[in-house]
Amino acid sequence: MFFLKEETKVISLHPSYFGPSVREYLINRLNEEEEGRCTGDHFVICVMDMVDIGEGRVIPGSGAAEYTIKYRAIIWKPFRGETVDAIVTSVKPTGIFTLAGPLSVFIARKNIPSDIKWEPNTVPPQYTDHADQVIEKGTSLRLKILGVKPDVAAINAIGTIKEDYLGPL
Amino acid sequence: MSHNLLNQDFGSEDEDDDFNPAPAEDSDNEDESRNNANRGRDLEDEDDEEPANGRANERRRVQIEDDEGDNEGEGEDDEGDDEEGGARGEENQDEEDEEDEEEDDDDEDAVSGRPRKRRRRGGVHSFFEEEAGVDEDEDEAEDEEDELAEFGAEMHPDDLDALPVGAETDDRRHRQLDRQRELEASMDAEKQAQMLKERYGRNRVAAADAVVVPKRLLLPSVDDPSIWGVRCKPGKEREVVFAIQKRIEERPPGSRKGIKIFSAFERGGAMAGYIYVEARRQADVMEGLEDMSNVYPRTKMILVPVREMPDLLRVQKSEELLPGGWVRIKRGKYQNDLAQIEEVETNGLEVTVRLVPRLDYGLNEDTGAPLSDPKRKRIGMNPAVARPPQRLFSESEAKKKHSKYLSATSGLGGKSWSYLGETYIDGFLIKDMKVQHLITKSVNPRLEEVTMFARGAEDGTSNLDLASLAETLKHSTAEDSYLPGDPVEVYRGEQQGVIGRTVSTRGEIVSLLVTEGELAGQTIDAPMKSLRKRFREGDHVKVIGGSRYQDELGMVVQVKDDTVTLLSDMSMQEITVFSKDLRLSTESGVDGKLGIFDVHDLVQLDASTVACIIKVDRESLRVLDQNGSIRTILPSQVTNKITPRRDAVATDRNGAEIRHGDTVREVYGEQRNGVIIHIYRSFLFLHNKAQAENAGIVVVRTTNIVTVSAKGGRATGPDLTKMNPALMRNGMPGASMPPPKSFGRDRLIGKTVMVRKGPFKGLVGIVKDSTDDQARVELHSKNKLITIPKEILVIKDPITGATVEPGRGRGGGRVPSGAGAPPSRDGGWHGGRTPMAADSSRTPAWGGASSSRTPAWGGVGGGSRTPAWRNDGSRTSNPYDGSRTAYGGGAGGRTPAWNAGARTPYDSGSGSSGFDAFAAGSRTPAWGASNTGNRTPAWSGGASSSAGGGSKDHLSHRGYDAPTPGDVYSAPTPGGYASAPTPGISAPTPGAWPDSAPTPGALNVPTPGGRPYDAPTPAMGGMAATPGAGVYGDDDGAPRYDEGTPSP
Repeated sequence: MFFLKEETKVISLHPSYFGPSVREYLINRLNEEEEGRCTGDHFVICVMDMVDIGEGRVIPGSGAAEYTIKYRAIIWKPFRGETVDAIVTSVKPTGIFTLAGPLSVFIARKNIPSDIKWEPNTVPPQYTDHADQVIEKGTSLRLKILGVKPDVAAINAIGTIKEDYLGPL
Repeated sequence: MSHNLLNQDFGSEDEDDDFNPAPAEDSDNEDESRNNANRGRDLEDEDDEEPANGRANERRRVQIEDDEGDNEGEGEDDEGDDEEGGARGEENQDEEDEEDEEEDDDDEDAVSGRPRKRRRRGGVHSFFEEEAGVDEDEDEAEDEEDELAEFGAEMHPDDLDALPVGAETDDRRHRQLDRQRELEASMDAEKQAQMLKERYGRNRVAAADAVVVPKRLLLPSVDDPSIWGVRCKPGKEREVVFAIQKRIEERPPGSRKGIKIFSAFERGGAMAGYIYVEARRQADVMEGLEDMSNVYPRTKMILVPVREMPDLLRVQKSEELLPGGWVRIKRGKYQNDLAQIEEVETNGLEVTVRLVPRLDYGLNEDTGAPLSDPKRKRIGMNPAVARPPQRLFSESEAKKKHSKYLSATSGLGGKSWSYLGETYIDGFLIKDMKVQHLITKSVNPRLEEVTMFARGAEDGTSNLDLASLAETLKHSTAEDSYLPGDPVEVYRGEQQGVIGRTVSTRGEIVSLLVTEGELAGQTIDAPMKSLRKRFREGDHVKVIGGSRYQDELGMVVQVKDDTVTLLSDMSMQEITVFSKDLRLSTESGVDGKLGIFDVHDLVQLDASTVACIIKVDRESLRVLDQNGSIRTILPSQVTNKITPRRDAVATDRNGAEIRHGDTVREVYGEQRNGVIIHIYRSFLFLHNKAQAENAGIVVVRTTNIVTVSAKGGRATGPDLTKMNPALMRNGMPGASMPPPKSFGRDRLIGKTVMVRKGPFKGLVGIVKDSTDDQARVELHSKNKLITIPKEILVIKDPITGATVEPGRGRGGGRVPSGAGAPPSRDGGWHGGRTPMAADSSRTPAWGGASSSRTPAWGGVGGGSRTPAWRNDGSRTSNPYDGSRTAYGGGAGGRTPAWNAGARTPYDSGSGSSGFDAFAAGSRTPAWGASNTGNRTPAWSGGASSSAGGGSKDHLSHRGYDAPTPGDVYSAPTPGGYASAPTPGISAPTPGAWPDSAPTPGALNVPTPGGRPYDAPTPAMGGMAATPGAGVYGDDDGAPRYDEGTPSP
């Protein structure tokens, strides 16, 4: 689910950047560092705007300055039960690896409908029900997130396509 | 037939023992009885054909009529209880049948059977009595009954006696049975059904009544027989009970010496050593248990209070042992070994188990030793210690030494071996054991153990019976498997379906806070057995205990009853485990770990082998050991994990220091390279990111690698900072080399000292003992020994109380060195030296003692000499750098060089020797270089010598010249030599300089020191002050001089 979230970040700036364009520089830094970041809880999709760029405070002893920036960002936090579209990155006998945007979702064999079978002999290997449903690398899937496991700087999820309206698109 | 007897039988035998729900043939159903009656009549006809028999019957009938009369009265008594009567009727008919059979026997051995018949008579009579009672209620009464009785009575023993042997009674019965069957067959099904219904319908009513009866009314009262607790041999309880049963069979209650025990039971483990016997009187118990082994009725018996009787029968379900289950052996050679149950005897007392044998096949037997029992005993005494390892039985091993004890037997299940009295099948030991010698609870088989039992299948795969394993494990629900907060579900029992979270655990009882349903918010208790953990799909869980997937992390993909399928984070494989073995996990990022082991960890395999983990599997580790071989090991095979020592240092092939994090390359061979991740003795484990195999780990020897680049830009190659004083100085400003240690007895000991500061400041005492930096001082003022740092002690003259300079050997050194650093203002100058200057021109060392010191020195020369020194210093400086510096660092002046010994020889050399000295001098530098120098003894030797003679100076100068100074400093002129004596004099003239022949003056010429010379010896300083100064003036000396002077 997407959220608009207000967050705060402290950026410390080397004195060499002090100058007329310090603001732009800060904004660049912020965008660079924040966008696409995964906190382990959510993904920062996009920094919308700066709410407030605090005044820089020189850190005693180093000469660098600290700016506290408040900004708003669009974040995506995947939830259990959320239905997402994803692209298959690889298929293995154990299941299907997919990417739903930045989130990697694994679909275990147990969570694949029993009529869709592992077919290792095709090139590339695929899951198929020998009819219109073929899941191979690059296929778009609609899946439901079953569980989300936060990691240090990543999120792993498992999903299922063993429900109505789920599966290859 | 006495009433008493009848009554007795009625009570004990019929009702209790022989109750047997009506078999098909006999019934007290009315129709049936009518049939019976008819049959009876038929029989009668037949009987007529047999006169003897008939007579017998007649006689019996009379008797029966008698009994009837009696019974009528009793029947009236019982009248109220129709049910009972009916039941009795049934019983009696049963008995009748029995009787029939018996009769057959009796007929055959009529004579010998006699006593038994007599005994039996009572039973027969009781039958009649009952029948009478029953039939009285029924409408068709007497005549039928008569007939019935008649036919029942046919076997009256007395009559039988009268029968001829092999009489036809036999045949008659058969015919009767045939007829009955025919009749039954002819009845239509409906009728039969009705008949059955009637027959059992009554019973059902009775049963229904029983259910209605409140439980408390079923509880024993004082009118019921008492229960006595009787002591017996612990462990033999069940045997005793069986023995009692047997005895009752032998001596039924109705018999002459009947056992008057109603029941006997034991309580198993809860009350070991007791059996419980139900009887009316204690005497009955005594009598019943008389002469029975393992039970002690003569000891005090416990009469169980009526109130406690029900508790005795409370059943605690004992663990049921099933074939295939796992147990452990309690003691003996196989103590604590895992065993699999092969078979369970029906009595539940003995089981056949399968074990992995521990045999040494006589290999450890001391053949020379006498086969004395004591010795064997001793070995056997502590079998758990030094027992052979678990290995499958091998007949070839056994044949080696013990072929005489080995014999093969081929059974149904393949061949088995009999060895030393035990049976081995498929390599396993098959052993019968008593249940009490087994541990059946909390067996917790470990995977390694279980794998030993995995029978190799034909195709080489091992088939492990995981189902039985799971069953065993399931029973071992440990208390800690439920933690507060675990989501649980009650899946059986009254509260089935309740869902909640655990709050606390007490023994087997878990309190849970209900979270869903009507009870939500309440806290209820539930036995652990009826609980299972609840997981939802997508939960992140960790496998705890029990299963072989222990510590695996994963996400739940499927939940089915109490098995949960999860997807391992590590291997992306699906694992199915019991929910009790799971716990919600908050851990993250522990991927790639097996317990404490992680890839790239260094582990100790045995005392001499270390290895680096290159792969972590679910249960095993793949390691690269120090010899470069790859092995797969179980975590249990790892002795310990070696915590990385980041500061470990080794040297590469070139002697360069290498540390953790450095990049190195192999010199020979494959020229592999990598970053050092572990240093173990002379082995390095390198990590090379470009290498795919072995997780990029390579093992090399330190002697076969060279440094490519050191971590953090550390200089590679021999560490100059440690050898080159110049660099050293930069590296650690102010940290000068500590003064050389003086060995042997500390000269401070015995000295009178004063404490300079601290709580003892000002106190005077005598040093009693000392270490490197501490002294034990016995204070004058207090009778006390204190330990005090040496540096805050000042040596005092015990008499005058004046402060005494610290010995030149030691203390002195320090001072100069301290001073040393600052003065160096020319790059060239080595601080070290100058300090000496500080001392009144003389080297400090001298300074202290100078005057008093060696006479030689003390002499006039003192001053002059020193200069020589300096010269040395100055000159030498370059060449000697190394050596000097050492001096400079700490010792400056004092160094061994100073010591008289060294000097003297040179002294003798004087002028001529000068040359020698020279030589020496020149050499020395070399020395110095090689050694770091300070040492100088050689040096000093030279130097001092020169000093001593004055002339020596020259030598030394020369020496020096040779080296570097030659250019500038060579200063010392020959003239100098001559002049050697007085520094001032010698005061080398400029001319002298070129000559290089350093005159003492030259020496003085502290200049050298002043200048370019790095190495100015401490002496220098001194020199500088002295004559040298003048001399210098000549050359550039003057300026230097100035410099020199100030520096001190």
